[in-house]
Amino acid sequence: MGEIFKLGFILMFIAVIAAAALGYVNSMTEPIIAQQKEQAKLDAMIDVATTLASGQLTFDSLAVPELENPYAGIDQELAVVSVTDSTGSELGYLFVAYGRGYSSIIQTMVAINTAGEITGTTILYQQETPGLGANVSKPEKFLYQFPGNNATSLLLAKDGGTLDAITGSTITSRAVTDSVREGLAALAACGLIPGEGGVQ
Amino acid sequence: MSAMQELTKGFFKQNPVFKQALGMCPFLAVTSSVENALGMGAAATFVLVCSNFLVSLFRKAIPAKVRIPAYIVIIATFVTLVDLLMNAYLPALHSSLGIFIPLIVVNCIILGRAEGFANKNKVMASIMDGIGMGIGFTIAMVIMATFREILGNGSWLNINLLGEAYENQPLLIAILAPGAFILMGFILGFFNIMEKRRKGGAK
Repeated sequence: MGEIFKLGFILMFIAVIAAAALGYVNSMTEPIIAQQKEQAKLDAMIDVATTLASGQLTFDSLAVPELENPYAGIDQELAVVSVTDSTGSELGYLFVAYGRGYSSIIQTMVAINTAGEITGTTILYQQETPGLGANVSKPEKFLYQFPGNNATSLLLAKDGGTLDAITGSTITSRAVTDSVREGLAALAACGLIPGEGGVQ
Repeated sequence: MSAMQELTKGFFKQNPVFKQALGMCPFLAVTSSVENALGMGAAATFVLVCSNFLVSLFRKAIPAKVRIPAYIVIIATFVTLVDLLMNAYLPALHSSLGIFIPLIVVNCIILGRAEGFANKNKVMASIMDGIGMGIGFTIAMVIMATFREILGNGSWLNINLLGEAYENQPLLIAILAPGAFILMGFILGFFNIMEKRRKGGAK
């Protein structure tokens, strides 16, 4: 009986030290990590927005009351940012699309012009299979096909569209394509961009 | 055994993958490209050296009966620390290696070397063993990834070798899971034949 307590205490001692070390490092790194995530998101926003126009751009987050959220099923919210140039004329919008991929919820930052055409995309977050689905982060593998498409034309070739899926990663490719298309459709439905169900 | 031998034994003679059949899960999972094999190898080597060092340092303080849970706590703590620190201070490296770090916790090479070597040997020898086993693991993964990436993608370390025509119609199975098992069979078979030849020659 005495030995069990002794062993238990030794294990507890090790666990307490480990917990203390982890707690300390976590509290130290948490703000830095959060700040870096924000910065990465901002960099991505600026990066995709340059496909709309170069020069001084202004970002305004846009609250659209009638905007239907297509990502409610995966607990994500559709937030839209409007992009205006220095003269104040609206160039287009940015939004983040969320799609359930093979092993993660893939976040894609999308830039569209006021005509509802995609001008640029970048992957914000994905944890897909290395060497297969993870290739979605490399623009030349998949995302290069996105610009110029709109809410009706953005479909994989397998689903009747024109986009070629990444070899061996149809689920990942379809998740990105469908989530972006659903976002575009939601924006069209509330009249932000022309398209089905929206103001022509 | 000299320190040099502790280091080099992991390369081929006691290679963790080919000889000890350890670490099969990451070996199969991340060898679809050479880049990933190198990333996983570097991350695993780092954790292996640190856990071998700590286990060896406290080998007399940890009672034999609770050594396995103690090692697991040490390894898991270490992996999490590496993950947090890398995420905060080396974000570029973290975004390319990040997915491998949680996989290291379940890499049985680390626990295997803590149990099989570090808890019986001095600190210096354990560090050498960790470096050697880490390099051996990396060598094994790069060999496997070389076959898989060339056959399945027509490239090596993202450099196109076999031309556009092959890249459009590659032997896709090589980078998918079944191809990993098939190629692993061939590679292990090859190493067993070499081992038999070597032993046969010595008799």
